[in-house]
This record gives sequence, C-alpha cells and structure tokens, in this order.
Amino acid sequence: MNEINTDNIKSQMRKGVLEYCILSILSNNDAYASSLIVELKEAKMIVVEGTLYPLLTRQKNQGLLSYRWEESQQGPPRKYYSITDKGKELLAEMDSAWKEIVETIALLRHKKQ
Amino acid sequence: MKKVVTVAIGRKSFVIDEDAYQKLSLYLSKFRERTKMGHSSSDVMEDLEQRIAELFTEEMKSHIEVINLSMVNRVIAQLGMPDGSSAEDDFSAEEEYQVRQPVRRFYRDPDDKRIGGVCSGLAHYFNIDVVLLRVLFVVTLIMGGMGFWTYIIIWIIVPLAKSATQKCEMRGLPVTAENLRRFSTYSK
Repeated sequence: MNEINTDNIKSQMRKGVLEYCILSILSNNDAYASSLIVELKEAKMIVVEGTLYPLLTRQKNQGLLSYRWEESQQGPPRKYYSITDKGKELLAEMDSAWKEIVETIALLRHKKQ
Repeated sequence: MKKVVTVAIGRKSFVIDEDAYQKLSLYLSKFRERTKMGHSSSDVMEDLEQRIAELFTEEMKSHIEVINLSMVNRVIAQLGMPDGSSAEDDFSAEEEYQVRQPVRRFYRDPDDKRIGGVCSGLAHYFNIDVVLLRVLFVVTLIMGGMGFWTYIIIWIIVPLAKSATQKCEMRGLPVTAENLRRFSTYSK
C-alpha cells in the first residue's frame, strides 16, 4: 500500500485554484509576471515559478487576460497583464462556485459530527 | 580563464560563461518541450526569458559582469518546470551524458599519410610520435617480411577517418561543435 501523500493532495488542491487566484489578483490591479509571482509565492500558491507562465499564456489565449508593454525605469519594457471583461465574468462564476464548495464542505463536516 | 558567450535574453544582452550558457540553453529547450502548447510556447518562453533577464539583472547589481554556472543553477532551481516539478530530475541524466569521456577509436588518418595512413592512425591511437613509428616499420621491413604484412592487414581492416566526427574520435577529442568545425572539410 502507498502511504497517503499529504503534500501531493495539497499541491493538487492548489493547482486547481491557481487560475482562480491569478484572476483574483489581476481583478484588483494590473500586474507583470514578476509581481504576480511575488504575490503567489507569499500566498504559498506556487513553489517553482515555471508553473505560472503556461497558465498566463493559456488564459490570454482564452481571452481572459490581455497584456500591454510598459516602459520601466530598470531596463527593458515590461509585459503587464490585465483582466478582460470575459475574465471578470469567469471570475464572478468562480466566486460563486468557490462559495458553494466551501459551504458544501462545511455542511459535510457538520453532518459528520 | 574561461570562454564567454554574449546572449540576448528578454530584450537584454548578457555576457555568460560557456558552460553556463550550455546549461541554460538546455534548460530552455527542456522547458519548451515540457510546455506542450504548440505555437503558443513562444509566448510562454517570452515571459520566462523576461523573468530570467530580471533575475540576472538582480545578480549583476553586485558588480559581477559575467553570468556563471552557479547563477544559472540558482535561477533554474527558482523557475523549475512548467508542471511544477524541479528541473533537477531532468538534468542529472543529461549532465552525465555531457561529462562522458570522449571515445578514442582506431582510424587511418587521411590528412597525414605516406602510404595508407596506418602509421599516423596508430600514432594518434597510442599518442606517440608518427615519425618513430614510420622508422620502426621501415626497419622491420628491412629485417624481415612481418612489418610489410602487418601494414597491409591494418590497411585493409582499419577504416579511413572520413567524417569530422571520425577525425575527432581518432584523436580522442570530444565531439563538440567547435572540434567538428576544426576537422570539417568545408572550412578548408
């Protein structure tokens, strides 16, 4: 029998809500990749940064995000991501889905006791 | 002393040690491979390279002018792979491949031959002076028939080093792009 891998379960859960997190951060303010990384790392949502880049591109291709180049004082221009209307719609849907999940879990936990 | 390479990463130019460059470019191609997003991969790589450029710029603030291997290793550890795994698993096998000892094979040398390139081939293989071998062969030729037949048999059996790869192997040199260029017939 395999041992129960707690870390693996946790990382699977985080992976599931990572896209939700990106949209949430961008709904507050536009950000370039590095500042997104800092926020996600602080929130312990990602361990290695590499996971983020394919997600950003995928969300951009799905029309959830857009980006623009902005001048920066410290070197070359930076790519700023912002959330689109379509992204905001999805975010609203995810908000209610998240609420549902949290309520369901609370309900189940309560029933058990 | 080390050879350096100048590269453009995320719209900035960096001077980087050759070994560090090899590792970084291997990492980038692995990352691209693992992204599995078709033509969208270039967007992902653009973001990734921009981040690498940023991290390197941070390192440069401590007045180091050349990116070295340990900086590259640090950056790779921080970035990891697109699926969230660390890059280490991918590299251990590759590195072993790179430090593998170059092979030395016995070929006849077409660039330095008097008759069939047998003596120069032998000289390369045993790393001895070709003149000494030639003298030895001539002496055995005079003394008796053995030298003659040995020469003929080697001439028939051992292949001529035709390609640049074979010429590297004949000299026991690693088959790198630089060495291949040295022995390539096109460069002459």
